[in-house]
Amino acid sequence: MESISRISSMLENARDLTIEAAQSANAGRSSKSGSSSRSIPFTQLQKLLDSRNDRDILEGLRKVVSMIYQGKPCLPYFSSVVKNVANPNIEVKKLVYIYLLHYAESDPDLALLSVNAIQKSLTDQNPQVRAMALRTMSGMRVPVISQIVSLAIKRGCADMSPHVRKASALAIPKCYRLDPNTLPQLLECLSILLGDKQYFVVGPAVSAFLELCPDRIDLIHKHYRELVRKLVDMDEWSQLATLQLLMHYSRRCFPRQTKRVTKVEGKGFYSDEPGEEVDTGEQAVVLDPDLELLLRACKPLLQSRNSAVIISVVSCFLYLGTSEYLKDAVGPLIALLRAPSDIQQVALYNIVSTALISPPLFVPYASRFLIHSTDPPNVWRLKLELLTIIFPHCGLHQKSIIVSELEHFAQGTSLDLIRESVRAIGRCAQADPRTSTRCFKVLLKQISENPNNTLLVSEALTVIRHLIQQDPTSHKETVIRLAKNLDMTTSAEARASIIWLVGEYAGVEPENNIAPDVLRILASAFADESEPAKQQILLLAAKVYLHYLNNNSNSQPSPNLEQEQEQEPAVKYYHQQQQQHSQKEKDTHPISLLYNYIHLLTRYDTSYDLRDRARTFKALLSNPHSTQLASLLLLAPKPVPSAPSPSETRKGLMLGSMTLVFGREVAGPAGVRGYGEGELPAWVEEGQQPDGRLRDVHVDLDTADKGSLLAGAGGQGKGGGGQAVG
Amino acid sequence: MSAVIEALYVYDEQNNCILEHVYHARPPSPKSLLSQFKACPVPRPALLYLSDLSPATTVASVYHSNTLFLCPSGTDQNALTLLEFVHRVIDVFEDFLGPPLLAHKIENNYDIIAQLLGEICDGGAICNTEPNALRENVEVAGLIGKLFTHVGLPGSSPALGASNNLVANLKAGSNPNSGPAIPWRRPNVRHTSNELYVDILEDVSVILAPSGRPISAVSSGSIAFTAKVSGIPELVLTLSAPGGSSSSKVTSIFRVMQSPVFHPCVRLARWKERPGELSFVPPDGRFVLAGYEVDLIPSYGGVDAPPSRGEKLFMPAMVDLRTGLGEKGSDFEVRLTLNTEFPGAYTSSKPRAPGTSTPSFSFGGSSSGSSNAPTLEAVVVSIPLPAGVRRLENLRPSRGEAMFQQFAQSVQWKVPTKDGASVSGTAVLSGTVIGPLHAGDVEDEDEDAETSNSMTTNPLLGYYDEDSASIPGKPSAPVASKGSKVASAKDKILSAAQQKAAQATKALMPRSVNLSFTVRGWLPSGIRVDSLIIDTRKSRGLGENVKPFKGVKYMTVSRKGIERRG
Repeated sequence: MESISRISSMLENARDLTIEAAQSANAGRSSKSGSSSRSIPFTQLQKLLDSRNDRDILEGLRKVVSMIYQGKPCLPYFSSVVKNVANPNIEVKKLVYIYLLHYAESDPDLALLSVNAIQKSLTDQNPQVRAMALRTMSGMRVPVISQIVSLAIKRGCADMSPHVRKASALAIPKCYRLDPNTLPQLLECLSILLGDKQYFVVGPAVSAFLELCPDRIDLIHKHYRELVRKLVDMDEWSQLATLQLLMHYSRRCFPRQTKRVTKVEGKGFYSDEPGEEVDTGEQAVVLDPDLELLLRACKPLLQSRNSAVIISVVSCFLYLGTSEYLKDAVGPLIALLRAPSDIQQVALYNIVSTALISPPLFVPYASRFLIHSTDPPNVWRLKLELLTIIFPHCGLHQKSIIVSELEHFAQGTSLDLIRESVRAIGRCAQADPRTSTRCFKVLLKQISENPNNTLLVSEALTVIRHLIQQDPTSHKETVIRLAKNLDMTTSAEARASIIWLVGEYAGVEPENNIAPDVLRILASAFADESEPAKQQILLLAAKVYLHYLNNNSNSQPSPNLEQEQEQEPAVKYYHQQQQQHSQKEKDTHPISLLYNYIHLLTRYDTSYDLRDRARTFKALLSNPHSTQLASLLLLAPKPVPSAPSPSETRKGLMLGSMTLVFGREVAGPAGVRGYGEGELPAWVEEGQQPDGRLRDVHVDLDTADKGSLLAGAGGQGKGGGGQAVG
Repeated sequence: MSAVIEALYVYDEQNNCILEHVYHARPPSPKSLLSQFKACPVPRPALLYLSDLSPATTVASVYHSNTLFLCPSGTDQNALTLLEFVHRVIDVFEDFLGPPLLAHKIENNYDIIAQLLGEICDGGAICNTEPNALRENVEVAGLIGKLFTHVGLPGSSPALGASNNLVANLKAGSNPNSGPAIPWRRPNVRHTSNELYVDILEDVSVILAPSGRPISAVSSGSIAFTAKVSGIPELVLTLSAPGGSSSSKVTSIFRVMQSPVFHPCVRLARWKERPGELSFVPPDGRFVLAGYEVDLIPSYGGVDAPPSRGEKLFMPAMVDLRTGLGEKGSDFEVRLTLNTEFPGAYTSSKPRAPGTSTPSFSFGGSSSGSSNAPTLEAVVVSIPLPAGVRRLENLRPSRGEAMFQQFAQSVQWKVPTKDGASVSGTAVLSGTVIGPLHAGDVEDEDEDAETSNSMTTNPLLGYYDEDSASIPGKPSAPVASKGSKVASAKDKILSAAQQKAAQATKALMPRSVNLSFTVRGWLPSGIRVDSLIIDTRKSRGLGENVKPFKGVKYMTVSRKGIERRG
């Protein structure tokens, strides 16, 4: 949801911000020089703080607080300020507390003096004062008082006012940070607060639980259903913490159960005829009723205005639920794209990640992923990826729109955009063989129309090469077209790429191959070629020559075979004839002439690299009768390249996490620090889960075996209430 | 691993840190954080991983008016939580300090900011971001007190006299031992004039294919609500959408308003039961009640045929881009069509074909734009140009003024609509691009330019199209329609030099145009407020016979949202 500040600025007549800023800056400056607030002398401020009049004290405190934020030294006022901590005026208290929170750490001894007064406020009649006192005491980073704080928390847990109970829930992690030894007392308080009636007390308690002891799920059992019920009423921040907790809890308490799907088939004409149950062979997930309770409670949260909540619900459905639940969440997830651009960027990573898991769900929203010219790079990059992910699942109409769009951006002016668009076209073609012809055409057209756009052409050729390599048999024609296009192509890289492709195809249909012909044409203008192209021409020459040799030797059996096999004289004679013929022809055959000519050219080339290569090939192919090694080197089958979606590397990363945004390349193999803690545990094995009856509220700790309950019920056995249903 | 806010830093335009508030742990100092942040290349993503800092820190950044908000985090957590937190803090600051939030406002009100920051987040845990609830706990004095009197509240003046006691008394009135009945509304609201305002704002985003057909048209709406009503009012806001008979009104709003999100005050069950009805107790003041989106050309995934209703997209203005014109193919033309049949009565279910009647249309510049006579304002066409364009010649707008902004590499064409005079429904801007100096040797290539132009407009054309016949049914309708001209010269092979020149010119052509505008009194989705009722039986504290003033405003903006591909 847009923030009110953004909406307001759009609704009201466009205000000229700069003018307003200038005006207010002037006003600010005049007030700066006019009022004494900025440069009040030490003694005067001291006097205000020491005054008996609340109004003066308040004014003094305001100035001190302002000075804290201005970065001016305020420690000298410590005693004068802290003296006021016992002041009954609540406003004075507030400001003193702010000061204390800032400076207690720098001067713990003096701060200790104030503790007594704060403690007194813990028993004040006004709940607001009590809550504030508790907050301040726990917030002062003075480890000595940890015991006092933990006592105050204990007392706060039983307070009448929910505000104080909330403050004590918030104080628990702070106290733990002060002194981890207070954990036992804090856990007691925590288990009380987790069961609080007020939803806004439970939220902070859940956060505290996650910080102190996320593994103690035994504390959650009896509150589970209550937490699920309160989820809708909580504020958004508590919802986030609670969802996090419940996701971990569910993974550890509800084993993934599946059952065979049976379908009633062959239903007769009359409804009373029993149908036949047929096993469809599919596995359906069976949800524990308690888990289903959570998933159903999550649904209304999809209408939350907080994008983080929506992502949490989506991950809840993704990691715990079934695809039916996920289906409901896709719309709200995509709706995050209308948020401010910063949220949009982060949300897109999550959308891509979810789309990789189940692309068909995202197809109806394809038009949302089309790129606007105003999109920043990280947005269009992800949108392009989304388009290619859903591409194979789209209808023909959408497919053609997507390809046209990609084509449009492939001709753009931003180099990155061109590169990514062309790659995206390639991914589309790979993913959906039926449209690959169309994609192919688009790519070829790009090359033929924009021969001067070096980047576009070389990128397109790389993609084409990948596509051809994946399915070599059906692309014979393409290679011919490309070769024809050599005349128009000026980019060195592109020419090299095409020549290489021709070389790869030199062995197909030896009688009717264009490779020698291409070589002939290229040889004529060899001197004008760029170095990469020259290298490829040399390679092409070597390949063509090798094929020529192989073909000739194939038609005549190798000496080994001849020895092993008894052959008819007639055949033998024929072979001899052939051999003689080929020997004679060898030096005059156009291919060998061409090969020698290229060698001659490269031998006197300026590039030593090229000369070296020529020497290598010459040595390899020196003996026309042993081409085995050369074949191994030159005609080795090339591995089929694959161009996965860029976000494939992010697969498996936790939805919503920062590591997902950065990827492991940036954040390191372990992700952003603390990533592992947020990762969900694996599903609990069936039989290892805690007893489902623990979640029944009426089951008291006394009635059940206390020891085994606390141990997380490792060997508790089966037959729990929730499980029996499954 | 729950969300932990470590610190919040605010910087002004001069990169001075004007606010530093540390909640938890030991985040990097504002200075080192900013220097690392600035070291990243622009445009910077909203979330950055600064691995050079020790320890490596993630930082969420939000720019707001002239300030920069940074929120560092040393550990992995939900990335959006940080961003949402910063946005919420900005909202709260604006609520307390008055919009717009400027650097000096923060500097002048540190005492209030300090209290707010303390209340919003406690020891790293976000605990209270509702402005109304914060009003309870944060004292505002001095300048800001005026705001209170402005909204009819007893402000706490610097003199802690009677008025402050009044505040205290008011607070004592609520039962301290029970929690707040309504967390988002402060108790004991008093207003002398009771007013309710609904502002519905839609932001349109349309992409038009070169053929002029829309391929994406989404309108994202927000309902802003201003409640200045005493006591605890129970409100019911009923929305409706066009289409269907009155009996199916409910279903039409359900269909039109997609993926709605609501302020926590809205009763979700009621909405689910009766779509279109928002039942809520509003917070005091201004807030966003709901957000939604509308797909103006609903698409059905998986269906192979193009949507039949796709062409009937109705927009108050449209643009068309034609490139590669003129003798040398270096001219372009942008045609802006102001819709002459602006829907005074858009509610009529039958959308009319735009642009059929006589092109004369009076833009009422005087009125503020009621729903009966919507006004179109701030029409700006921006034409981004490729980096190679050195300058433009013959930039001739038929109306308004157009300027080439070298810095932004784009043409801004402002078309006035406020003159009130009867004007032609179309306006044309033409221009010639001049590329880099060395690419000037273009000679005698009229025909070739034409050829290359036709090649760009027909995506199926290429030297590879011999195969196209063998693929049955591949070129579907919209693609075929894109090619306006049938290329006769497809086998023509251009000579290298000519082609190079044509290519160079083509590369300088604008690829798309964007249209921005503002319309008051009209929404593309057609959503309307049917009624806003105060349920007097359930409301409390709203005196007898008080009839609050109610106001409704509709507005549509396009912020470069309409994009036409060339």
